[in-house]
Amino acid sequence: MKKFRIKVNGKAYEVEVEEIDGGGAAIPKITAPTTPQTVVQPAAPAVSPEPKTVAPAPSGAEVVTAPMPGKIMSIKVAVGQQVKAGDLLLILEAMKMENEIFCGTGGTVKEIRVSEGAAVNPEDVLVVIA
Amino acid sequence: MSTREKIADLEARSQRIEVGGGQKAIDKQHQKAKLTARERIVKLLDPGSFTELDKFVTHRCINFGMAEKEAPGEGVVTGYGTIEGRLVYVYAQDFTVLGGSLGEMHAGKICKVLDLAVKTGVPVIGLNDSGGARIQEAIDALSGYGQIFYRNTLASGVIPQLSVIMGPCAGGAVYSPALTDYVFMVKDISQMFITGPQVIKAVTGEDVSAEDLGGAMTHNKKSGVAHFVAENEEDCFAQIRKLLSFLPANNLENPPFMETGDDPERIAEELNEIIPDNSNQAYDMLDVITRVVDQGEFFQTMPFYASNILTGYARIKGQVIGIIANQPKFMAGCLDINASDKAARHIRFCDAFNIPIVNFVDVPGYLPGTNQEYGGIIRHGAKLLYAYSEATVPKITLVTRKAYGGSYLAMCSRDLGADQVIAWPTAEIAVMGAEGAANIIFRKEINAADNPVEKRAEKIAEYREQFATPYVAAERGFVDLVIEPRETRPCLVNALEMLATKRESRPAKKHGNIPL
Repeated sequence: MKKFRIKVNGKAYEVEVEEIDGGGAAIPKITAPTTPQTVVQPAAPAVSPEPKTVAPAPSGAEVVTAPMPGKIMSIKVAVGQQVKAGDLLLILEAMKMENEIFCGTGGTVKEIRVSEGAAVNPEDVLVVIA
Repeated sequence: MSTREKIADLEARSQRIEVGGGQKAIDKQHQKAKLTARERIVKLLDPGSFTELDKFVTHRCINFGMAEKEAPGEGVVTGYGTIEGRLVYVYAQDFTVLGGSLGEMHAGKICKVLDLAVKTGVPVIGLNDSGGARIQEAIDALSGYGQIFYRNTLASGVIPQLSVIMGPCAGGAVYSPALTDYVFMVKDISQMFITGPQVIKAVTGEDVSAEDLGGAMTHNKKSGVAHFVAENEEDCFAQIRKLLSFLPANNLENPPFMETGDDPERIAEELNEIIPDNSNQAYDMLDVITRVVDQGEFFQTMPFYASNILTGYARIKGQVIGIIANQPKFMAGCLDINASDKAARHIRFCDAFNIPIVNFVDVPGYLPGTNQEYGGIIRHGAKLLYAYSEATVPKITLVTRKAYGGSYLAMCSRDLGADQVIAWPTAEIAVMGAEGAANIIFRKEINAADNPVEKRAEKIAEYREQFATPYVAAERGFVDLVIEPRETRPCLVNALEMLATKRESRPAKKHGNIPL
């Protein structure tokens, strides 16, 4: 067993290292850290899949959502494009039908949150128009 | 008092009541872009046709200083008059009098017109604008609501009952409109909710405005509580008059015939071009309906709710029909919980009031998804089957394109009692779509093929050719007629005339148990 003192970001940790027979991998064992909260930090939170509607749309914007589960067949607009009410935004393939998704109020396409071929669920945000 | 004085006294008493809560309160009402109860009645009814009842009714509450409080007309104006010459009963809550609050006698006035309406077989229209129960009257006010609910229920299916929300309608007050046949709301001035924004904030912490919670568009689009939305009060009255033009006065009458001047033999050439060659493409079912009905006039109910199904009224050769139609343009026209609910309610209203039903079918199936299953699509979908099967009015089904599987049955198929099933040559009446069916039936052949992709496409085409047509169903007699789309109008005229004398009875029972 060997003891090491390791400094991380200016904080000192005492680390014991034990050699296992056969000279295999050494298992570091961390003991009594002086500042415990920074010691073991899981790489990423295991549970919390990215919520579907990530960023909230800016207020006053029209958010076009998927009316039903399906697949994006084609996108008919580009970011920055001017659209008016009734314009075709994209085609959602669902129920073996090509469902045309239209613009409700009109404005400028701010964001397109899906790509062609993407599977979407009801209420998923497809396009943000402001 | 001399006779002359007595007459003058009557005049004075009448006038005192007619100003309601006084000029200040009336001004306040006008500032909110709202008319007063009396102004509303004048605008809704034919000029000079209104007869007011129970003008002199007053409350008899002595609690909390109420003995000294005057409530002219008891906060509600009731009576009868005509719309397009046809009698209606009407009551209008007067927000200028104690906030239109409902007490024992206020409810009594409403109950009186409801009773009269049922006895005489005449529609009743309630204009709601009330702060709620008159708290001072305590349990008597509560009883008032109960009395109204009970009468709404007994009158249901006997006379058309329309509720118009023209102000706040909260708590228990919402259930009278909910029990009636149609709810009208006006943008910006109407609100309906069981518990208001403050209570919701206190209990769940949610911040929601009264308009977002229970405004006109919320109930017309999201909740399905309301059936019509109006831009303003005048627009609302116009919609009420329009709706009534399609409805009989009661369940023993036929809906009003009206000469429309549209040629019953009219051929609509455009209909031959309306179905896209690619059956995956959508089209607007409204384009079909408006080319078939008289003067292209289709009056939709719930136009903003569950747009994947269209419901409403129209005329064919002057005769009123109720329409239920899949809308391929919205959500592929599939059936889901809300669409089933919307259509079932419309079917039952039509059946109760002798309005023949015409169905325009292009349905790809039921919407898949966990929220549909968890939401109870099984029991909600069953309402549609129940309503169609239960209905004894003439039922005509026109299949324009897809009619697959369970949804084919649900859309008033022959097996649910359709009296005439008409199909266009573009109809695809089958157990399921060609892709799915070919995958199952020819699985072995496809898998064993040298080129499964090619084989699959070949088998799908084969299946489509053979089964995705109206002819398999027609061979079995599930379809009576296969017609050219352009001949649809004369064909429907003919079918409706053939069915005009239809009589069909059901086993005697207290009532069925519709899967609610």
